Amino acid sequence: MTGQTHALLAVLTVAAVLVIIRLVRRGALKAKYSVLWLTVGLVLAVAASVPTLLDRVADRLGIWYQPTLFLMLAIGFLLLVAMHFSYELSRLEKRVRALAEELALLRGPVDISDEEPS
Amino acid sequence: MRTAVIIPAFNEADALPGVLADLATHVPGHHVIVVDDGSRDGTHLAAVAGGATCLRLPFNLGIGGALRLGFRHAVNEGYDRAYQFDADGQHDATQVPILLDALDHADMVIGSRFADDRGYQVSHSRGVAMALLRRLVRVTSGQQFTDTSSGFRAFRRPVLEFFATEYPMEYMESVEALVLAVRHGFTVQEVPVTMRDRVAGTASNRSLRLAYHFIRLFIVLLAGGSGDRPGTQKSPIPRSGQAARRP
Repeated sequence: MTGQTHALLAVLTVAAVLVIIRLVRRGALKAKYSVLWLTVGLVLAVAASVPTLLDRVADRLGIWYQPTLFLMLAIGFLLLVAMHFSYELSRLEKRVRALAEELALLRGPVDISDEEPS
Repeated sequence: MRTAVIIPAFNEADALPGVLADLATHVPGHHVIVVDDGSRDGTHLAAVAGGATCLRLPFNLGIGGALRLGFRHAVNEGYDRAYQFDADGQHDATQVPILLDALDHADMVIGSRFADDRGYQVSHSRGVAMALLRRLVRVTSGQQFTDTSSGFRAFRRPVLEFFATEYPMEYMESVEALVLAVRHGFTVQEVPVTMRDRVAGTASNRSLRLAYHFIRLFIVLLAGGSGDRPGTQKSPIPRSGQAARRP
């Protein structure tokens, strides 16, 4: 990678980390998800600040086209994240269903006299 | 013997009065529970006007979600048995005694359109889909059924208690529930019944959607669970005194 691309990568990384911190501070992102993305930011930061790191690791692993390593890691990581979100979604759906049932039971049978005249 | 009728209803304000009137005529002693599955057309008013108890879900959960609520309510209220009935008029109240008589010899009874030849007609694509379902259910449950997706079913209390926590939610949940019940060791029996042709056709046979649900169901049945369980603890709602009894 050229010096410019590394500079660009570094800028983007810093920007991403700042955005994440801002979101957490505003309460828009739960801390447990911020850990995930801050870790990504950290890894990118290391990769950006040590330009030869990726290439050396790729050589060590016998990958002759070095960017492949980066793409492979990125795809693998994103797959894991997507799977985790599917898991979380399933859990949430289950809970929403249970809550809807609870609400219906707590409200009790419909009583026409309860209805506000429309 | 206290018997409940569970009717999941989504925007069925037009069809429901007729259905409730039919039930009141042919099986007057049964307590009707309508689960209003997030309707926007006053289904709950039609239900109450027709003399039913109506529980309202805050939004649409689908038939499976509505049914589980109905089962929970029936369990909480101490019913000995219950049957599910369609709000769209497809099921025939005169057939209910056939279903309940068979319940003397089984934990769960399914009213089948195809158990004997009564000429119930389905479209070609639907026929193919049903044949596939029959095979899938035979393989995964080890028992042969002719009408795996029939929603005309009766249950004894132990099955109601089981379904009050375990009833699946996704589309074609009836097939999944059938296999669940068999696998759980309940005796499930089919009886021939007649049904009316569906009046307004919301019968879903769009092939892509159907294919997706087939694959989903296939995975669920092979994996032995939809991941829907355990969504609730058993009945955290306080019950009235006499309702707490169990057989």
